[in-house]
Amino acid sequence: MTIPVAIIGAAGLPVGRHQARKGETPQALEHELLAEVVIDAVAGAGIGKDMIDALVFAIPRAYTQQLYYCTFIANFLRLAVDGIVGEVQGNGMTGGLAFDQAAMMIASGRAKVALALGSSFETAVDSAEHMNRSMRATGDIDFHTPFGFTPIAWYAMDAMRYLHDSGASRADLASVAVKNRRHAGLNPLAQYRDPITLADVLAQRPIVAPLGLYEVPPRSDGAVCLVLARADLAKDLGRPHAIVKGRGFHHEGAHQINERPSDMTAFQACRRAGQAALGEAGLAAADMDLAELYAPCTIVEVLAAEALGLVPRGRGAFASRDGETALGGRIPICTSGGCLSRGHPPMVTPLYGYLEIFEQLTGRAGARQVADAEHAIASCELGNYNAAMIHVFEGRA
Amino acid sequence: MTLPIVDRPGARPWPPRVSSFTRPFWEALAQGRLLTTRGKTGRQLTFPPKPFCPHSWEREVEWVELSGRGTLYSRTVVHAAPALFAAEAPYQVCIVDYDEGIRVATRLIEAPEDIRLDSRVETVVLRYSDGPLFAVRPA
Repeated sequence: MTIPVAIIGAAGLPVGRHQARKGETPQALEHELLAEVVIDAVAGAGIGKDMIDALVFAIPRAYTQQLYYCTFIANFLRLAVDGIVGEVQGNGMTGGLAFDQAAMMIASGRAKVALALGSSFETAVDSAEHMNRSMRATGDIDFHTPFGFTPIAWYAMDAMRYLHDSGASRADLASVAVKNRRHAGLNPLAQYRDPITLADVLAQRPIVAPLGLYEVPPRSDGAVCLVLARADLAKDLGRPHAIVKGRGFHHEGAHQINERPSDMTAFQACRRAGQAALGEAGLAAADMDLAELYAPCTIVEVLAAEALGLVPRGRGAFASRDGETALGGRIPICTSGGCLSRGHPPMVTPLYGYLEIFEQLTGRAGARQVADAEHAIASCELGNYNAAMIHVFEGRA
Repeated sequence: MTLPIVDRPGARPWPPRVSSFTRPFWEALAQGRLLTTRGKTGRQLTFPPKPFCPHSWEREVEWVELSGRGTLYSRTVVHAAPALFAAEAPYQVCIVDYDEGIRVATRLIEAPEDIRLDSRVETVVLRYSDGPLFAVRPA
C-alpha cells in the first residue's frame, strides 16, 4: 500500500423503488441502469474507458436474474482490462469492500484507474418475504433464527440498551431521522425528500421497539459507480478530487453476539477501525468536516458517531437533538440523508456514502454543501457493527 | 433441576437442524435441561454448544448444565416479522446474561412491553408439536 489513491469521479442512480414486480412490463433492468451510471462517472472523471484497468463489483442481490454479473457488465460496456474483474461480498460492507479492493489494486501498482461499482435491486420482493431470507443473515440459523430475530432486531436491542444507559429519550434518538430527512431534501439522489417533523417520526407504526417506521431503513434500489485513480494521475487531470488518506478495519470475531458479555453499544470494531484510519491519515476526529456513516437505523448513526469520537460517548442522541450533527452544525453527519432518507440499497450503500463525500470534498454538493469541507470520514459495517471499515478522505481543488 | 415447560401451538416456524453433535442439546432441552459445552482443560463456556472450544481451540469438550437464570441485557418487540413468523407477531426477543457468565439471545415471553432491562429472568422450555425451543420470562 504505497501508491496514493484518489476518487476522481462518481455517479449514482437516484435511490428509489425502481424494480417492477415479476411478470410486469416494463422491467427496470439493473445492467441498463448501471451502464448509464458508469458512463456518467467516467465522463465526469475526464478519462477514456481505455484507461480503466480494474472493475470491482459489489455482488448484486440474489434477486438479480443475471448471474456472472461482473463479466456480463464488462461485456455490456466492452471493457477489456488487465487488472481484475470480480464481485465482492460482505453483507452491508459489500460496497465498502468493492471500494477497498479497487483502492488496493491502485495502491499495489496493479491498476492506474479502477472502478468500484454495483447495483442492488430488491423492491419487487415485499418486506415480510424478504425477511424470510435476511433473517438467515444474522446470528446462528439453528440457534438464533428459530426465535424470530431479524437484522434490525439487533439494532433495536442496541437502542433499548442505549436509552437505558444514556438517559436519552426516544425523541432524542428519533431526531436523527428528522435531521437526515432535512439533508435528503437537498439531495437529488435521495429517495425520501419531503420534510418530516419529530411528531411524524414518533407517530409511525412500531417496527422493532423502540424503533418505528421512519427509524429503520426503507426498501431501496440503487446503482452507483466510483472512479478511483493514482493520485498523481488525478493531479495531472487537473480536476477536483478526493484523496484516500487513511483506512482502518477491525472484526471482533463476533457475529451479532459474543457469548462473553460485553458493552454492546460501544461498537468496539468501529472504534478500533476509526482510530486506525485516522492514525494513518495523521488526523483526529476533530479535524473532520463531515461524516457519512453507514447507519440503517437512527441508533446506529448515534453509536457509530460515538465510536469514531465525533461526539462524546453517551451524547450522540443529544448532539443530534441539539443540531450539532446537522448541516450548519459542528460536525454534519449523513449530509446525503443517510440510509434512512437518501435510501438503503444494501449491497451498494457504502458506495453512495463515498459518492457523497466525493461531492462534498470537490465542492459539488449544491444546496447541502458543507462550507470549506476539507476532510471527511466514512464508515461501513458487517452485522451489528461487529466489523467496521473506515476511510478518511481529503479534498483537493 | 428441570426447567418449566410451556406448551406452544403448532410447529416451530423455523425448526433448527440437529447434528450428531448438537443432538444432546436438543434432547436434554426436551427433558427440561439447558446444556452447553466447555473445553475440558480451559473450562471456558461457549454458547451455542460447539465440538471444540472457540477460545482455545481445544477439541476435548464436555457438556455442562446451565441454571437458566440471569439478567435481561436488552430486548425488543418484533412487530414487522418475517413471513414465516407472521402468526407469532408481535413477539419479544432479547439478550440475556446468564449467571454462569455467558450471554445468549432468545425469545422473551410473559413479559410486559415495558419490562425493565437488568430485570431477573428464568429459562423455560417451549414445547412445540415438532420439538422444543427455549425462552426466558420474568423470574
